Amino acid sequence: MSAVTSPGQPGEPAARATRTSLRPVQEIPVPMPRGRRQTELAMLAFAIGLVLFAYASVGLSMTGRIPAGIVVYGIAFTVLMLLAHLAIRWLAPWADPLMLPLAALLNGLGIVMIYRLQQSGRDGNSGRVISTMSTSSTALQVVWSTVGVAAFIAVLAVIREPRTLQRYTYTFGVIGLVLLAIPALPGIGTEVNGAKVWISVGGFSIQPGEFAKLALAVFFAGYLVAKRDVLSLAGRRVLGIDLPRARDLGPVLIAWGASLLILIFETDIGQSALFFGLFLVMLYIATQRTSWLLIGGGLFVAGAYVASQLFGHVGERFTIWLHPFAAQNVYGISYQLVQGLYGMGFGGVLGTGLGNGQPYWTPLVQSDFIITAFGEELGLTGLMAILLIYGLIVQRGMRAAVAVRDPFSKLLAGGLAFVLALQVFVIVGGVTRLIPLTGITTPFLSQGGSSLVASWMLIALLMRISDTARRPAPQPIQEEGLTQVVRGG
Amino acid sequence: MNHALRRISLVILGMFLLLLLGVNYVQGFEPASLAVQRGNARTFSQQYQFQRGSIITSDNKVIAESVRVKGIYSYQRRYPVPTTYAPVTGYDSLYSATGIEQTEDKFLSGSDPQLTVHNLIDLITGKPKRGATVQLTVNSAAQTTAYNALKASGLPSGAVAIDPKTGAILALASYPTFNPNKYATFDSAELRQIDNHYRFAHSQPLLNRAINQTFPPGSTFKVVTGSTAFTSGKYTPDSRVYAPTNLKLPGTSKELINFDNLPCDDGSNPTGNGTVPLIFAFTVSCNTVFGNLGMKLGDTAIRQQAVKFGMNDPNLRIPLPVSPSVYPPIPGHDPALTAYSAIGQYNDQVTPLQEAMFSAAIANNGTLMTPYMVQKVTAPDLTPLFNAQSAVLSQAVSPTVAADMSRMMVNVVKSPQGTAHNTAFLPNIAIAAKTGTAQNGANNTGLDDAVFTCFAPVGNPQIAVGVIVKGGGLGADASAPIAVKIIQAYLASQAKQ
Repeated sequence: MSAVTSPGQPGEPAARATRTSLRPVQEIPVPMPRGRRQTELAMLAFAIGLVLFAYASVGLSMTGRIPAGIVVYGIAFTVLMLLAHLAIRWLAPWADPLMLPLAALLNGLGIVMIYRLQQSGRDGNSGRVISTMSTSSTALQVVWSTVGVAAFIAVLAVIREPRTLQRYTYTFGVIGLVLLAIPALPGIGTEVNGAKVWISVGGFSIQPGEFAKLALAVFFAGYLVAKRDVLSLAGRRVLGIDLPRARDLGPVLIAWGASLLILIFETDIGQSALFFGLFLVMLYIATQRTSWLLIGGGLFVAGAYVASQLFGHVGERFTIWLHPFAAQNVYGISYQLVQGLYGMGFGGVLGTGLGNGQPYWTPLVQSDFIITAFGEELGLTGLMAILLIYGLIVQRGMRAAVAVRDPFSKLLAGGLAFVLALQVFVIVGGVTRLIPLTGITTPFLSQGGSSLVASWMLIALLMRISDTARRPAPQPIQEEGLTQVVRGG
Repeated sequence: MNHALRRISLVILGMFLLLLLGVNYVQGFEPASLAVQRGNARTFSQQYQFQRGSIITSDNKVIAESVRVKGIYSYQRRYPVPTTYAPVTGYDSLYSATGIEQTEDKFLSGSDPQLTVHNLIDLITGKPKRGATVQLTVNSAAQTTAYNALKASGLPSGAVAIDPKTGAILALASYPTFNPNKYATFDSAELRQIDNHYRFAHSQPLLNRAINQTFPPGSTFKVVTGSTAFTSGKYTPDSRVYAPTNLKLPGTSKELINFDNLPCDDGSNPTGNGTVPLIFAFTVSCNTVFGNLGMKLGDTAIRQQAVKFGMNDPNLRIPLPVSPSVYPPIPGHDPALTAYSAIGQYNDQVTPLQEAMFSAAIANNGTLMTPYMVQKVTAPDLTPLFNAQSAVLSQAVSPTVAADMSRMMVNVVKSPQGTAHNTAFLPNIAIAAKTGTAQNGANNTGLDDAVFTCFAPVGNPQIAVGVIVKGGGLGADASAPIAVKIIQAYLASQAKQ
């Protein structure tokens, strides 16, 4: 594809013209690429079936009966996902057929797990609710799923061409920064578990950072596409690596500074890592300069180290990571991590089965630690399946990035797919003690609206880009040698 | 850009591979080591997923069982007669256990190595895992009577009954006590609340007064002083001993007096400065006689005798840990303190169990059997896993001395002058006993503790009882009727069989 991408040109008419002219003139019509909407529908039905099966299984384990809610929730969930499917048929018929079923499965499993946690209650006492949960948590999660799917359809409906977003590069930049900064403002942000990433709007807690991620991805894509020629200019070559010119370091330093500010003012190491990682990878994709990755990575590690020395909240993360089972930590700062690990260990390879484990011992198991609940009840087997689902979504996103023609969309898709992967890596790696634990949500699974709605919007953007990528180019039909009629796809 | 995208795809692939390796490590390799880490609530709560073994009395009454419940835990502990047996069974809660629930946990929970093969067979045949049944030596008639009698006194008290021939504990009651059913809750907040309530209650309901609280033995200690005297070979029950009304104590202006300042006179000591037979002094419990006797014998000899009766032993387990009953060191072998210690005052301390052991040793021809409470343990398939064997704890006194002491104790009940004649004399059951009324509090201003030790029937001893009622007043008044009721209930239950 890179052969047909005209470098440095955000607008694509030239590229398309080139492509069209390259196509050999043929007598027989080219077979039309298939939209694969039937495949999507079949897989969606399978995903919905799995979710309903999981829901029934929770009820059978915990009460011996299929929960009465299966009719209402089942119909609501099915209708919701079918609406998403119909919207795709109408708005993005060429989009990737895998993404919706995969996202639907994750969303559904998340609802089932939240229902399961709500049923068992704190410490397994059904009379008491787990903190930040209520007896209506499941219903609320279904409502948020509806909002999420609505946002998904809205994104597909409003953004017909991903390139149009490029016009609003700086608008999205400002929106992203504002969203990031809001929780840090005194009087607006609420501190939860040491991190100031929430704001309260009309009784609902919203994490603006989740949406900032999307806005900033758009901003980075637009900015980097415009500036990538300058940024890829090499300065000196040291140890086989092309170093950028010193004066071009500006943007990376600004992004680094911004992520450090998040770290300092919102004490949220997870979000900070996410933004900086997103920026670095998009910078690398735009410039193809490995040096950016090395410089940025070095800056981040240095920044995190200094922060860990200066801020107790950050330094504590390293203590928890290194000494979780120490006597003074087990019932204190590392309680949550070790309870999560105990849960996963308890589940073993095959898991206890949904509803049979004791995930309720782990604090915040419904949000940051929901993956440990899946590990406990679905076992290593189920957890690997969930990781593979994420892997597949990310892979389909990267595929769309590779396939799409215009550089802005390419960069945006690559960034979005990577940030999803990074988010999964940071939280799953954190709860499994692969890396220091930082509290961020698990996309689609965790309780809470912001993450779910933002995840659906992210999927919508990726599907829009894949739709653009897979949409067949207008077919020139040779008619009487002279007149070209362009048939739209 | 596609080149960079492909490289990033490889990075993402690496990230997911790392995650997969991570979860494989945690869930594939680590579970065994995680399961035994501290604070693993899941491992602990596992025990409620199967049926824990029952605890039953010697006459097959269930006193602790696991019943099927709905909810996240499959079985919940239930104590059918909670308060009566609380000091025996203890409780089994989410976080901790006490009593037999704690000491026999391996059998009850099925984790004992002897049950491994059994559990494996169950696993293969698909039967649910079950714990072993623990049968105690406790007799339901004796236990129920003991607890009800203590409760009726309304005072902090403890009672223990032993089979003198085997050491089997027939009853072990304490009042005030707690309801172990409240500890069986699965609600951790409620559990904390209950535990705090019991822990800080002024009445100390969690204290097992039968074995874990010590009281001054008072005159019941004269059994030890008397035994020391007989063992010395210089005395028989008929030896005439110095019996002053007031005993002058060397090195102090204080004088030892008898109860209510009475003279020690059987008609042959009108001056209050002569002698009486030792058996008379024991029967009416003359402090001056035994104080003087103690000074003559010396604290070392008394201590040796006390140790043979099981005192000063911090390691006794029945299998519940027993607080040591103490015959204290006497600073500089001070004669005055020795005199006080010889009549069960000064710093002498005994548990109700120790009181029962005094009588048990005398009843069993001087041989003190090790007290025990677990008779046998049976696997769910009825395979015996443990059977109690009686063991000698010590030869407390020679059979001759035991016979002499027994004769004196019989007299305490039989003789109309005896301190226990009015409250422990039964026409159909011959009881041998010693009463004690222990003064305590600063300057002996506190209410007297009522202490009683006895065995019955005299000809063929089947039960030895120790009772202490704190602040009960006279041992003969407060404690003796309780002991008599326990004896009657136990012998009646044995007669039925």
